[in-house]
Formats: sequence, structure tokens, C-alpha cells
Amino acid sequence: MTGFEVLAGGLLTMIQDLGRQGYTHLGITNSGAMDEYAYRWSQKLLDNHEGNALEILLSGLKLKATASTTLAVCGADLDFRINDEKQPIWQTHHIHEGDIISFHQQTKGLRAYLAVKDGFNVEKVYDSYAATLKEGIGQKLSKGDFLAFTPTQVKETRHVPEKFIPKYPKHFTLHILLSYQHRFFSDEQKEKFFNTDYELTPQISRMGYKLKGACITPSKGGIISEGITFGAVQIPQDGQPIILLKERQTIGGYPKIGSVLPSDCFKLAQLPIGSTVRFREIDIEDAEKEMKGFYDFFKS
Amino acid sequence: MQNEAYVVETVSVDSAMLYFKEIICEEVLDQVQHAYLALKTLEYIIDLTPSYNSILIQYDINYYNHLSIKEAVLKQVSEYREITAEKSHKLIEIPVDYSKGIDLERVAETNNISTEEVIDTHTQTTYRVYAIGFMVGFAYLAKVDDTIATPRLSTPRDKIPKGSVAIADTQTAIYPQDSAGGWNILGHTDFDDFSSFEIGDRVRFERI
Repeated sequence: MTGFEVLAGGLLTMIQDLGRQGYTHLGITNSGAMDEYAYRWSQKLLDNHEGNALEILLSGLKLKATASTTLAVCGADLDFRINDEKQPIWQTHHIHEGDIISFHQQTKGLRAYLAVKDGFNVEKVYDSYAATLKEGIGQKLSKGDFLAFTPTQVKETRHVPEKFIPKYPKHFTLHILLSYQHRFFSDEQKEKFFNTDYELTPQISRMGYKLKGACITPSKGGIISEGITFGAVQIPQDGQPIILLKERQTIGGYPKIGSVLPSDCFKLAQLPIGSTVRFREIDIEDAEKEMKGFYDFFKS
Repeated sequence: MQNEAYVVETVSVDSAMLYFKEIICEEVLDQVQHAYLALKTLEYIIDLTPSYNSILIQYDINYYNHLSIKEAVLKQVSEYREITAEKSHKLIEIPVDYSKGIDLERVAETNNISTEEVIDTHTQTTYRVYAIGFMVGFAYLAKVDDTIATPRLSTPRDKIPKGSVAIADTQTAIYPQDSAGGWNILGHTDFDDFSSFEIGDRVRFERI
């Protein structure tokens, strides 16, 4: 078998793709790459269709190749090295048997995606490669694991054009569609919500990001449990918003003020603890235009 | 089904919510199940998440927009005529060992009845699956008789073993895997087919 020997698993590294659809009626969450923008670029650079990638959180991952392949690294700058030499990201690299791939230190963003040509040879579970640790689907990489891929000999190097490489600022605006129980929030509460710089707390995970800032109070504290969409902003009893992301619970009973545009959630996935965000309302027509543009861009 | 019984609302750029009357009852559950079966046959739908009185509908935005999805959903639900076989909600029987019920005494004391009465009451009701969530295969079953209804523990336990049969207020459920949780444990079952639960199914507990 050819592939990567895992010399060190890093803080949290696992296989992801675009997630698992069609199983929420069983309580199975979508999961998938937290930052679809970087993930989709890793696939586009390699012409992978229905592929997968390693989602690498912060530092510590170390792999040894037992065969040649072309790989792509996109997303956070985690001091990516081949044989201990720093290499540029947002591009492809050709590697050979014996090469050591490593990620040492986070400098910008949180999550990097490492994809290989034609994807890693792993089994799909419920039609997806995406790991969901809390559901016992897939696992985090650890020392001694082996990640199989089929060797390739492609020599061409491809780059993401400079203008498409995100800067990962530590403050930005999240566009939110007011929906769900937004009528539970008075004009005064909404004004507070839209005029606050919310800080990212240490409670940020693949499930959701908990924010800290002005307390928002709905007129009713609970609802009959209902389906939760990607990016939904839930206001629990303490009045501090939680943005629900790829591994959110499928149903829940806290009031929600609306949902953040998916492309902004992808940016949020790269934002470290202590960064700040501000919410701005977006209407449905603009949201549709924005997301159709996003998906069309990666289709071509 | 009457048109006034439900409404479709936009919840995100690619999702709409079909809401029924804001009440937990079998009539609404049957409406949810009917609509769920109807929407399963609608094209370009990515995911459906049914719950007590709603269905979250995620759709392909290359095919629908926020207006056309509403039209399509309303049309589909109002025109759909279910096949008889689909309507017969299957009955799932769960064998329960109530001697493993570490909270039986507490539930009995809370309601001023004997533990025997708690077990009798719990096994006499045919429950319905109202929602599935919280974790994979966790089916929310209702409605537990008021005479044994008991609130959640004030401090949840770190570990409730897989197969625990428990109640919280007027809901009952089986833990499909080891998990933290605050429900009152009445017993234990070896039942393991959690993926067979579907919204609307009937469930009975049998004492062993």
C-alpha cells in the first residue's frame, strides 16, 4: 500500500469533504470542511471531483510519503514544510517517496487543507468521507496511522492567483439574514445586536462558535425543537450568540435570530479566539446572488 | 389537509422551514409525517429535517430560489396522496429491564406513587416518535402520562450508559450510545436498532 505514514497526528487532523447530506432525519449532522473556500481550492488545483482532504487544525502534523503524488495545501498558514524547508501554500507541490511533510506553527488562520491528487483512499460512511468524531464516524489522525493514496506522476505546478488568496483579517463583518424567531427580538435588542463588536470566546469548535458581547434577550426563551440550518445564530439563556457550524446538532429549541451567509461562515472558521466580528443584515436576494456566485466560481 | 394548517418561511439562503401549528400533539405529528413523505419525492431537495411541528428543507439553490421553493413545497404537500402502506406507522417493541432503573425511586417519590405504578404506567402507553436528534438515533417519544412526568436532573450525569430508558417531563427515550445526560433512568434495554426509528412510528415498552 502507498500513502502517508503518520509520524505525528498534530492537534486535530481528520479527513473532510463537502459533508454528509440527507441523513439529518436520523440525527446525523452534515459535518464537512469548516472552510469550504480553502477546501474547494485544494480540490480545484488538483482537478479532484468528489475528493477529500485533511483538515489540519493549528500545528504538529508530520507525515512521511511512501510514494510520489501531487498535493495541494490551502487555507491557514501553519508553516508548511517539505523536508524541513518552508514551502508556499495555495499551490500544488510534487513529492516523492521518503519526503517529510510537516506543519509547525500557526501564523495566519486556523485550518489548512491538504489534498492529494485523486484523494485519499478511505471508505465513505453514509455517502461521505467527512469525519464526525462525536458520532464515531472517522477518527483524528495519530502516530502510526497510515493514509493511503494512489501514486501519481503529474509534474505541472498550479497556483491560486494572488487576488483570490484571503488575508484572514482579525475583524470582519458577518452578513446575516434575519429569519427563524427574529420576531422574538425587539427593535431595541436588534439594534444592540447590530452595533456590538462580538468577541470569539475559547468555546469555538466544529460544532459552533460562541461569542461574547452585548447580551441579547428574546421575548421567549425556548421554542419547540426544530431543524437547525448551517450558520444559524442561536441565543441561549445567557444572551450570548452561538453561530452553529458544520457539526451542529440537527435540531434544537433555543430561539434563533437568523442565519449567517455560508461564505462568511467559511471565513469565520479561520478566525482565532479573541478576534471580533460585527453583524450586518443582508436580504435574501443579495444572499442568493452571493452564494450562487460562490458555487459557480468553483464549478468552472 | 387545510392550507391554513401550515406556512413556509425562509430561514437561510438555501433552506426553508415548513411550520405547522405550534403545539405538540398527534394530529400535528401526522401532518408532519404526511408532508415529510410528500417532500421526500420532490426533486432538488438536499436534506429534510422533520421535528415536532416543522420540517427544515434544504434545497439546491441552482434550481430553486426563496420564492419558487415555497410554491413547490405548498403544491407538493397539498397534492400528495400517500400510499396506504406508508401511512401504517410501524410498531416497535422495546424489552426493558426495569431493575436497572437507578432513578425509579426518585420518579416514584416525585409523583407520590410506588415504583410498580411507575413501571405499569410507563409500559401502558403507546408512544409516538416526534423527533430524532440530539445524537444519532435518539428518538424523542411522547407522550408520557402526567402521573409519572418528572423534570430533568438539575445536574446532568457525565455518563449515561447506552440502552438506558429514561424520561424527562412528558418525554421518554432510549440512549443510543453512552452519553452525558440529565434524563431520569427507568431501566435498560438491549434493543440496538436505533436507525429503524422514523418520525411517526409507534413504540411500546415491555417489562422483562
